[in-house]
Amino acid sequence: MRLLTNKNIFPDIIFIGQPNSGKSTLFNAIAGLKAETSNFPGTTVEHTHSKVNVEGKILNIIDLPGTYTLNPSDEAENVALTHVFVEKPDLIINVIDASILGRSLELTLELIELGYPMIVALNMMDLAEKKGIKIDTDKLARILGVPVIPTIASHGRGIKDLLYAALTVLGKMKTLAPIKWSKDVEDRILELEQMIPSDFPIVANKRFTAVKMIEAEKLLFDKMLMEINPSLKEALDNIRRALEERHNSPAYEVIAAERHHLALKIFEESSRVTRGRKIGWLERVDDVIMHPILGYFILIGVFLVFFFIIFNVGNPLEELLLGPLNSLRAYLSANLGRSLLFYLAEGLIQGIGGGVAIVLPYFIPLLFLMSLMEDIGYLARASFLMDTFMHRIGLHGNSVSPFILGFGCNVPAVVSTRILESRRDKIITSLLIPFVPCSARTTIILALIAFYLGPIWALGFYIFNIFLLGLLGRIISLFFKDPSPGLILEIPTLKIPSVKNMASKTYVRLKSFIKFAWPILIAGSVVLALLQFFHLDRYINLILSPLVEKALGLPKELGVTLVFGFLRKELSLVMMLQALGVSYQGLMSVVSQQQIVVFAIFISFFIPCLSTVAILWKEIGKGIALLSMALNTAVAFILSLLARLIIKL
Amino acid sequence: MISLTQAPYNKQLRIVDIQGGHGVRRRLLSLGFHKNHIIELDSRSILRGPILVRDLTSDTSVALGRGIAQKIMVEIVDE
Repeated sequence: MRLLTNKNIFPDIIFIGQPNSGKSTLFNAIAGLKAETSNFPGTTVEHTHSKVNVEGKILNIIDLPGTYTLNPSDEAENVALTHVFVEKPDLIINVIDASILGRSLELTLELIELGYPMIVALNMMDLAEKKGIKIDTDKLARILGVPVIPTIASHGRGIKDLLYAALTVLGKMKTLAPIKWSKDVEDRILELEQMIPSDFPIVANKRFTAVKMIEAEKLLFDKMLMEINPSLKEALDNIRRALEERHNSPAYEVIAAERHHLALKIFEESSRVTRGRKIGWLERVDDVIMHPILGYFILIGVFLVFFFIIFNVGNPLEELLLGPLNSLRAYLSANLGRSLLFYLAEGLIQGIGGGVAIVLPYFIPLLFLMSLMEDIGYLARASFLMDTFMHRIGLHGNSVSPFILGFGCNVPAVVSTRILESRRDKIITSLLIPFVPCSARTTIILALIAFYLGPIWALGFYIFNIFLLGLLGRIISLFFKDPSPGLILEIPTLKIPSVKNMASKTYVRLKSFIKFAWPILIAGSVVLALLQFFHLDRYINLILSPLVEKALGLPKELGVTLVFGFLRKELSLVMMLQALGVSYQGLMSVVSQQQIVVFAIFISFFIPCLSTVAILWKEIGKGIALLSMALNTAVAFILSLLARLIIKL
Repeated sequence: MISLTQAPYNKQLRIVDIQGGHGVRRRLLSLGFHKNHIIELDSRSILRGPILVRDLTSDTSVALGRGIAQKIMVEIVDE
């Protein structure tokens, strides 16, 4: 009997399903604009909570990362497992892609083994119908012993039924009985069940624990068991050996095969495939996108269009927004003079205006296009196409998605390295991510290099940046002996994106910028204004002058902007103007084009911003975070020195 | 018996064996690569890149790096 403690006043309902099952879309439809979704495995790496009110009853719904099985093989799956194993949910909603029912049922069967109350949301029914798969949901529900609710999350269909079913099942709190496997396997499981001592930590129920013990072959669990209870370990090994001898494959594969065959059998019993695979226009488009030669032209084209749109939307918007801000600044300067009030107002305008006029015009289109690429399913395809090139820098295709996300913001990019299965890949990728020009740095490149030197220079900078990434990747992977394990990535079907879905995702990501970064931007600008008013910036500039003035040949006033660049990269840009006391248009009167290039290079590569360092520290470890800071600063220093020597303008 | 990297395109192939360490095997297993499954090679990128495998039983596509593909042994299904 569960006690109603504070934590459990509201029933916990977890959403769990395989990647690309439309789980997050369904969750979003229920929770409103809360969780992110995408057509790429591993986007929900941290779970999302939300409270919903159904018929006066408040439910705590939790969206878990997509997982193929309940046996952990990457970190995203671990998040899912902790939730299932440790925080026992009141109800499981298993979201299934109906168009690949056979494979999806494997996870369903595993979830049923847990015995917790459960509902199956048979999602993407429209896609299944298009493929000619007719599913008898009543029959499926009978075989599985759980309610099956057909849904089409992208159109919001079936959601009400699902919620009502949830209330009904919650009211009953019935535990499930697992569907039996072949007798010889069941016998072995029972044998192990009876050997589990009473003080052994049981997950869900004895049978489930026994099955998981057999499946944990060669995992960390085995070592732990060896130390805690060697005799049980020996008994477990005997049972595994018996299974292995009888079926001629490792015990964990025997279990997986049992589930697999059962899933296929249930699929065949509950559905009819009325016609063969019909090739629709999406498949034809897919053939072109994935074409061994054409695919690469399209990939390059996609990126060119991507940046072209961002520049062409961002640039006019930026100029439009900067105009009024400059007039306001001029007005204040004329009326307030050089008083403290003026400095404070100027700091505020720079901070707020910097966010609105310089960052948002590029940020919003970038985020929106990124969601578009994810939702269509292009990100996975780009990973496939780029795999060969990633091998050259010692990684493989799975790292492509973190890198592409890095163009938006390095922070979610570092988080998404959780989809990488090997620690080696994770370290190399996260050391490289801070070299991917994020939207803040793109803004700097555009606002400084494209604006003052011309778009060709900005493009050149980008291409150079990508080469640098490759070179560093090669160098860093020299320090790792083991080769990269190689690409294993599901390519989801191409999907027509829903504008609502993309908008909500853009909104969620934007919200985190507004809530988290903008206050820092505003506070930073005000602090800088105060420093200037009290002439304290002089000391910072003095300390940094050997670097800024002597080594890089820049005006020493820029020293203080580097300090703020550590908070947010775009701060350096905003503050550069503030520190030099000029307007955006008037910058060229105080610095040369060469100095702009040197400054842009240094600012782009030196030290990852504070949030990136924080997330590196949290996700990968302190050592890597510090190493990343050192590496970036060294690279920035060398490159800007070189730029100073080579580029003569 | 040939490895997946040597197999012809658009021909039905039966998985005979999956070699390699248990980590890779587990990952492949969870994506639906079981013995006796029928798969098809869909396309291949240039420059010794990864291959795209379509699982005909579950109707899913999975991209595999060459290193991984070499560990999957298949035989051509006679039609």
